[in-house]
Amino acid sequence: MQISEELIRQITSAVISQMSQAGASSESGSTAGTGDVSGSWSTSAGEVPSMAGRERINEEKTSYADYPRAKQGTDPKEVVIGVGAAFQREIKKTICGIPLDEVLRNVKAGIEEEGMIPRVVKILDTSDVCFMALEAAKLSGSGIGVGIQSKGTTVIHQRDLYPLSNLELFPQAPLMTLETYRQIGQNAAKYVKGEQVVPIPSTNDPMCRPKYQVKAALMHIAETEQLDPEVGAVEWEG
Amino acid sequence: MSYIAGVDIGNSTTEVCVGEVTPDGNLTFLTTASCPTTGTKGTIENVHSVKNALRLAMDRIGRDTSDIDLIRLNEAAPVIGDTAMETLTETVITDSSMIGHNPSTPAGAGQAVGEILLIGKLSRAVPGTDYILAASAEHTYEEVAATVNQNPDVSIVGIILQADEAVLVENRLTRKVPVIDEVRRIDRLPDGVPAAIEVALPGQTIRMLSNPYGIATLLNLNADETRTVTPIAKSLIGKRSAVVLKTPGGNIHENILPAGEIYFYGDRNITVSLDEGADRIMQAETEAGDIRDISGQPDTNVGNMLSRIRTGMSELDRSEQADVRITDILAVDTLAPVLISGALAGETCLEKAVGIAAMVRTQKLPMQEIAARLHQDLETEVKVAGVEAVMASLGALTTPGTKLPLAILDMGGGSTDAAVISEEGRVTLTHQAGAGELVSMLIETELGLGDRHIAEQIKRYPLAKVESLFHMRMENGQMTFVDESIDPRFFGRVVLLTENGLIRIEQEIPMEKIVQVRREAKRKVFVTNAFRALTKVAPDHNLRNISTVVLVGGSAEDFEIPEMLMEEFADYRIVCGRGNIRGSEGPRNAVATGLVLSYIGERVI
Repeated sequence: MQISEELIRQITSAVISQMSQAGASSESGSTAGTGDVSGSWSTSAGEVPSMAGRERINEEKTSYADYPRAKQGTDPKEVVIGVGAAFQREIKKTICGIPLDEVLRNVKAGIEEEGMIPRVVKILDTSDVCFMALEAAKLSGSGIGVGIQSKGTTVIHQRDLYPLSNLELFPQAPLMTLETYRQIGQNAAKYVKGEQVVPIPSTNDPMCRPKYQVKAALMHIAETEQLDPEVGAVEWEG
Repeated sequence: MSYIAGVDIGNSTTEVCVGEVTPDGNLTFLTTASCPTTGTKGTIENVHSVKNALRLAMDRIGRDTSDIDLIRLNEAAPVIGDTAMETLTETVITDSSMIGHNPSTPAGAGQAVGEILLIGKLSRAVPGTDYILAASAEHTYEEVAATVNQNPDVSIVGIILQADEAVLVENRLTRKVPVIDEVRRIDRLPDGVPAAIEVALPGQTIRMLSNPYGIATLLNLNADETRTVTPIAKSLIGKRSAVVLKTPGGNIHENILPAGEIYFYGDRNITVSLDEGADRIMQAETEAGDIRDISGQPDTNVGNMLSRIRTGMSELDRSEQADVRITDILAVDTLAPVLISGALAGETCLEKAVGIAAMVRTQKLPMQEIAARLHQDLETEVKVAGVEAVMASLGALTTPGTKLPLAILDMGGGSTDAAVISEEGRVTLTHQAGAGELVSMLIETELGLGDRHIAEQIKRYPLAKVESLFHMRMENGQMTFVDESIDPRFFGRVVLLTENGLIRIEQEIPMEKIVQVRREAKRKVFVTNAFRALTKVAPDHNLRNISTVVLVGGSAEDFEIPEMLMEEFADYRIVCGRGNIRGSEGPRNAVATGLVLSYIGERVI
């Protein structure tokens, strides 16, 4: 699926203008200006806060300047999980409402079950999941990394591959379950061990895209807003 | 000047060869082609593949099939082959007495003996008794670990899990115990039954539970009980982890299945039971001497298989005097992984099985009908000319470095044929059951693939293991590095190296095991058959009277069969090698080439 910045901007402005109309017609219906919109992504469309007069989804930008910078790993058993800039902060649930705490816990459990060691970093350079995963892989002692966007899209990557030629990509975030995240962790660890990975059964829903496109775009913008390339990547323990 | 085409219809491949003959009798070979045979060999359905192959060949020289002046068909040997597999033993577990499997990641190491304690019934535990905790997938690893850690007064010596979480639980335990996971039917574990569990050290296999006396030691069995657990111990050999329960009615049987009998009618009539194994069957076949017919006990698998082949053949020849007989079988011992009935974790057991290839013979195949149809469709003269084996010998003689007397071994898909031509031109020939297709079946069964197509591929191509995205280890141990990264779909997999790239093998079978099964299957079929066939046609039935053997046919193209035979024949001082028809075609196209050559011969006469 191809989303150019142009397209996202168009969609967002269309959504915003619609929401401001709706807000104007029923004054009490919206909760404009409540500041923190975190955690509200899984709620129904009617509760989405009004964007009227706002240029950013989240007014506040979290500063990661005080966080320890992500170190280059040396342990050959290590798998680095690179999470998105808004992960567990501005966004607390995936696009289909799975708590991100649980997502991270399951990916880590999958890696641990296979005898490898998980480490989590937050990637502030980019919100593109492939580049996130590649950056995590480069920080990883084993050369294998997992990138997880806050909306739930996940990629397993290896450090010496091209950004877009990853090991495994799980593009349909709305259809992911915790079981899938556990298996992603297991497969990432199996790549480290050089073992045969198990194909992860995933569902496919052609209606997924039209249904979630706007929500995905908004979540992506919310994540991209929080980028801080000067800081780069920080150690993250949720 | 005219174009002459030779057409060889085989069990699995149809081959053509086109030559140009000048009026003064000079022959130039122009083009060849091959394609899969449509329908059973010798039936009217073959016409499609013949036309297809001719078109392919003529396309290569930019001509049309209508340019062909004469098509020469082989008088196909009136034999067809078929294969079947029969399992002889069956393992049955009653009352869930055993779990033995290879979860990828068990945790801890060592053995433990205790009473099964379901996690929901923890309160019934009393001090002084050892317990093995069983937890279903509903309980998370944190919960299980916490339960064990918070009840230090309950002596838990081992843990059985349904979910794949053994390492996760073990990492969180304050007191380390062996943990087995991925036991799918954990709901069938009875509460309160004595059990023994064992997890092997990494890289090793279990020792105590794969030894009858080990089980006896752990579960305090007497001599009689030890005898009954022997099959359990046997089926646990080679596992990384196992559970054995001591249930009063629990047992494990190895049943011998009634497999049926085979009747040989020859110089002597001999009856042999299938479950006596391949060696005994082959011995009986030899004892029976010149075989007129073979049949199987009615309403057994082997009986049904033999009568199915017979029916198939009789449909080819509907004439009154049809005389359809099975004249040869090849039996091969094999092992088939079969799901154990009553198992708790989807375990399989290698059961004994016999693979059989049979050869049916009739008086004559309806080749004239095919010729008539071809004549009608292509408006070209079509002639049925020459016996297959003679034509193959003629073709084989075009291999550089051969001379009469000459023996050929035609290893195809359905049958292995041998012929000896003496210096005077006398031809002795034989057809033996069992060739490439039997090899594929053995590979399929023994590896438990359940897919004939991939078995065919395994037979045909060498293996490699993709160890990283940039290098792979070949089956001969050589390392190969690639410039462009290998597709991640192949990561960590055993792959086949084909001319069109890699094919991955879905099943998790070690490369060494596949190599061993493949080589063994080829050896069992082709080496056995080569000796059988050549002994039959050799002067005085003595192999030493043969000096040269040329290997032709599809299976001679194989990357290891010719070498295997060469090694075996070296002891008899026989020059043996893969044929190279006309110095360029390799072992293929011998019959088609022979058919074109024989046209010149006929003209001269």
